[in-house]
Amino acid sequence: MSLLSHIKVVELSDGLTDMGGRMLAEMGAEVAVVLPGDIRTDRARAYHHGKTVITGEPEDLRTLIAGADVLLDGRRRAQGDPEDYIALNPGLVHVVAWASMPGTPSCGAPTTDLTLMAQSGLMTIIGDPDRPPLKLPGEQAYALTGIQAATSAMLGLRARRQTGRGQRIDLSARQAATQANYREAISYEWTGRIGHRPGNQLIRGKSGVTLVYPCADGHVTWSMVDNPGMMRAIVAVMVEEGVAGELAEIDWANILVADTDQQVIRRWEGIVAAFFLSHTKAELEAWSVERGWGLSPIFDPAEVRDSAQLKARGLFVDVETPEGTRRYPGPLFTTSLPEDPPARWASDAIPARDFAWSRT
Amino acid sequence: MTALKGLKVADFSWVGAGPRATKDLSDNGATVVKVESRKRLDLGRLSPPFANGDSKNPDASVFFCQVNTSKLSVTINLSDPEGQAVARRLCDWADVVVENFSPGYMARIGLDYATLSADRPELIMLSVSVAGRSGPMAGYRGYGNIAAAQSGHSALTGWPGGDPHLPPFAYGDVTAPLFASVGVMAALEHRDRTGLGCHLDVSQIESMVQVIPELLAKDDVVRMGNRDAVMAPHGAFPTEGPDRWIAIALEDPALWPALCEELGAPTLAMDTRFVTAEARKANENALEAEIAALTAGFERFALAEALRARGIAAAPVADGRDLCEARDLIDGGHFVAPEHPVIGPAKMPALAMRLHDTPWHMGPAPILGQHNDQVYYDILGMGRAEVESLIGKGALA
Repeated sequence: MSLLSHIKVVELSDGLTDMGGRMLAEMGAEVAVVLPGDIRTDRARAYHHGKTVITGEPEDLRTLIAGADVLLDGRRRAQGDPEDYIALNPGLVHVVAWASMPGTPSCGAPTTDLTLMAQSGLMTIIGDPDRPPLKLPGEQAYALTGIQAATSAMLGLRARRQTGRGQRIDLSARQAATQANYREAISYEWTGRIGHRPGNQLIRGKSGVTLVYPCADGHVTWSMVDNPGMMRAIVAVMVEEGVAGELAEIDWANILVADTDQQVIRRWEGIVAAFFLSHTKAELEAWSVERGWGLSPIFDPAEVRDSAQLKARGLFVDVETPEGTRRYPGPLFTTSLPEDPPARWASDAIPARDFAWSRT
Repeated sequence: MTALKGLKVADFSWVGAGPRATKDLSDNGATVVKVESRKRLDLGRLSPPFANGDSKNPDASVFFCQVNTSKLSVTINLSDPEGQAVARRLCDWADVVVENFSPGYMARIGLDYATLSADRPELIMLSVSVAGRSGPMAGYRGYGNIAAAQSGHSALTGWPGGDPHLPPFAYGDVTAPLFASVGVMAALEHRDRTGLGCHLDVSQIESMVQVIPELLAKDDVVRMGNRDAVMAPHGAFPTEGPDRWIAIALEDPALWPALCEELGAPTLAMDTRFVTAEARKANENALEAEIAALTAGFERFALAEALRARGIAAAPVADGRDLCEARDLIDGGHFVAPEHPVIGPAKMPALAMRLHDTPWHMGPAPILGQHNDQVYYDILGMGRAEVESLIGKGALA
C-alpha cells in the first residue's frame, strides 16, 4: 500500500500521535519520529515500526521539519503554544495533539490514557456492576487520538491541494476519546437516563441475556436474542445431541425473549451453557457457520495471530528488529492496487543530522 | 473554504460503521448523497433515543442524526431495476462510492467496484464490513460483538482471573470508520498523483486488531483490569457518592509522596511495601486497597483537581450527564447543535480537531428524502417527466 509514497512526516511522539504516525507510515509515507523514551520496548516497537527513530537538537529537527509535509506534534504533557513551524515551512500541515483543546481547563493538565478513558464516559459502562469501572485493553484513548491525528493530517493535505498552503490543526485527545462513546451523552440528553455497567449482559426490554459462555477450551460469545431462525438452528443441534431439554418444546416464532421473565431466561441459558461446555470453540464455530447461530469463539492473542481469516488477508507481518523478528499488524485495509508494502523493519535511533529524506 | 470542498460521495452505507466514515467527509465540505429507501429504512433511523419518544417517525432518531450530519438524503429503491439504474448514474457522478451492505449485494445490483470502475479507473470505492471482503469469512454477516471476540479485545478486557468481557457498545463501529475516512483521503492523494482510484476494503476486526498491536504480539498477555505494566497506582478508586470514582495514574514515580500527602496519609509514602515503583507493582493488591480506603472520603472533582495541581494525572470517571456538562467538551467545541427540522437544535458530538484555515462546518442530518429534487434534477440532470414516471413505478421510493 503506497498511497502516500510522496509524503514526508516528522512525528514528535508522546503517546498521542503514535498510531497516527504508524498509519501514515503503513500507507507509504516516510516518517521520522522522535520518541520520549526507549525504542527497545514492546510498545514502542509495535507503534513505531516502519518509521525512522531519530534523536537530535532542536535545530536538527527544524531542518527536517522545514522539508516535511506533515508534523505530528504530540503535546500531551505540554502547555503553551508550539513553535510556529508554518512560518518556517508554509506548506506544512502541523497537527498538534493536545490532552484537551487549547483554552479548556484540562489542556496542559497531567493526563494519561487512563484518565482520558475515564473522562470519555466509557469506563462507567464497561465492566461489572459490583466492581470498579473498567478500561478497554491497551491504550485506546491514545490510539483513537492517533487515528484522528492521521485524519487531521489527511484533511490538511487535502486542503493544501486546494489552497497551496499548509495550516495548523489542533486535536483534542479528550474529544477523540469521547467520540467513541456514541450513546451515553445523547441518551442522557434525551431520556435523562445514565448508563451503568451491565457486566456480560445484553439488556433488551425487561430482561438481560448472557453474552459470554465458557466452553470446553475457552469462551464463546453468543446471546439468546429474538431471532427465531437462529434459535431453531441451535436447538436443532441440541436435539440431535439429546441435550435440548425444554428448549425443544418452545415455539421461537411466537415468543419474545426480551419480554420473558428473567428467571426463565436464566434456566434456558443454563441448558445452552451446559451444551457449550461439552464442546470446543472450533466445534461450536463450525456449527455456527454451517447453521447460522451467530456465535463466535473468543480468541486469545495467539489465536488472533493464527486466525485463518486474518492470515488470508495478510494482516500480521514479520518485522525485523534488533531484538529479532516480531509479528505485528501490517496493512490498515486491503486495496485493489498492486501490493507495495512498506519496509518491515524497526531500527534503533539515529542522530537527526544523519537522516535525510529519501523522498523528493 | 472547507478541506474537502468539491468532493462528491455517493453513500450507500447504513446503520453505524459506514455513516460514521462519511460524516467525517460531509462535515469537512464533501457533498455526500446518502441513498436511502422507504422500502428498506436505514436501521439507524430506527435506533433510539427518539425526539418526543416518537419511534415510528423515521426522522426522529437522535442516533441517526448524530452519525449523518451535513449529508443530503435521496430516496432510491435499490430493489427496483430502474432504481438501480438511477443509483448507477449517481455512482458515475461521484468521486467516491461507499457501501457497507452484506457481501455480494452491490454486485447483485450492478454497483460493485469491478462494474463501476470498468470505464472510470479514477473511481474510489469504500467497503466496510465485519471481516473484510476476502478470506474464509468474506460472506460473514455479523455485529460488533463478533469483532470484539475475534480481534482479541474481548479476551483482553476484564479483571485478572475473571471471564473475558464484552463492553456494551460496538467498538468496531468506532474504529473501522476512522480507518475508512483516512483511507479515502489517502486514496484521493494517490489519485491526484496517478489518476487511478481503487477499492478500499475495511474490516472491523482488523481495525480493532490494529489498536492493540503490543498486546497481540505476545502469548503471555493476560487480562489486567485497569492496571498498567509499569505505573502503580493505576486504576479507578471509589469516592463519595454512589458509583462515583476517580481514575489515578502515577506516571511520574517521584510524585508518590505528593499523592500520599494529598490523600491525607503522608506516612504511607514511607511504607516499605510501596516506597519504590517496583515495590508498588509487587504489592499492587495492597496498594490499591490502601488508596481506595483513602479516596472514598473525597469528592471526585475536588480530589482530581488537587492531584492535578500536584502534577499527578487524575480524572473523575465520567457518566453521560458529566459528559453533557464537561467544560473541556463544551469550551472545546465538542458539541454543536445544528437546527434539525424534526428534533430541533440538538447537541451533536463534533469532530475532535480544529482546522485553523479550513474549519469544518456541521449541518443537520437530513430527513428522509429531503434532497430528492436537488439530487434528481440538479445533480443527476433528470427530467421532470422521468422523475414522475419513476416515482409512479416505485423506483424512487
